[in-house]
Amino acid sequence: MLYKRYIEIGRVCFIRLGDDIGKSGVIVDLVDQKHLLIDGPDGIGRKVLRLNQVALTDIKINIPRGCKTKTVRTAMAKEGVEAKLAATSLVKKFAAKNAKAQLGDFARFKNRVAKTASNRKIRSTVRKLKKSS
Amino acid sequence: MAHTSRNSTLPGGVPKLSRSAVYKKRALYKRKKVATVPAVKEVALTKTKTVAGEKNGGTRTVPVQKSPRFYPTEDCKTPLKNRRVVKPTKLRGSIVPGSVVILLAGSHRGKRVVVLKQLPSGLLLVTGPYKINGVPLRRVDQTYVIATSTKVELPALPAIGDEIFKRKGKPTKNEKEMFVDNAGDNSYKISAEKVALQKEIDALVVPAVKKVDMLQSYLRSRFTLTKGQFPHEMKF
Repeated sequence: MLYKRYIEIGRVCFIRLGDDIGKSGVIVDLVDQKHLLIDGPDGIGRKVLRLNQVALTDIKINIPRGCKTKTVRTAMAKEGVEAKLAATSLVKKFAAKNAKAQLGDFARFKNRVAKTASNRKIRSTVRKLKKSS
Repeated sequence: MAHTSRNSTLPGGVPKLSRSAVYKKRALYKRKKVATVPAVKEVALTKTKTVAGEKNGGTRTVPVQKSPRFYPTEDCKTPLKNRRVVKPTKLRGSIVPGSVVILLAGSHRGKRVVVLKQLPSGLLLVTGPYKINGVPLRRVDQTYVIATSTKVELPALPAIGDEIFKRKGKPTKNEKEMFVDNAGDNSYKISAEKVALQKEIDALVVPAVKKVDMLQSYLRSRFTLTKGQFPHEMKF
């Protein structure tokens, strides 16, 4: 199978563009070829999003099409979606990118110094290994 | 007895009651105050002066206040009095004594320096410290500066004002000489007082900087932008 993550009712999505960036919701219904009805916990609520605003995850839950927000939330809680999401690379990468953007000038300087120091070490080790081989 | 206004305002800014209605309401007919008119002091407008010389009539009546010799041909309105009070420039909330700041203009552009305080002129007093990155005690406008979130805990510093930064003016013409002597070396030389003050300040600020890990090397480095870095997207 080429594709493993399908756009289907119950598919958990990560929102990558728009006002709700970084949050996750569940596909509740399809509006048309390019729009989804997504519902999620308190932070998002029920809204229509474009397909390109969203990235599909591996997680899928069992919900009937067009069900109420309450049903979605209880289903999410039952399946433990929040914990599974925290383990996905999408969420982890977004958190790391966000943390990096929040760094101040001093923190950026310290990171740069640490990076050059570690790179130097790596390069010297590699050179030594090349010489010995 | 003091009371809130006996009148009210209708929509449109129109008072509800007329003047006479308010007069009645306030019972001012009972409370008329008659001011006592102060007695008008008799001030002499002329005085008599004795005049010398036999043929000059002995005395002359002369006005006490002479009318002015010159006065404008037309009566013009005088401009209103200027009651402006000069306040020091409001300092950005992110700039505090001890905050590290990036200079954006001048010969020291890109250098990270420590803010000591805001001077009465509104400018920031800034120092490298000189020992660390070669920026002396300098005045800088807060608009030419990026404030970072890093702050240094400064000890009590000696009082410094705008006076030490005042430069000596160019030599002006003497009454007797035709030309101004500008041939001599008029380049700016740092006064010994400034050097001593710089040493004193450095002795206080540098230990405070050294307390924080890597802060000294941070102040030594210059701020640069690399690919993909956009100042409006960065947090300082």
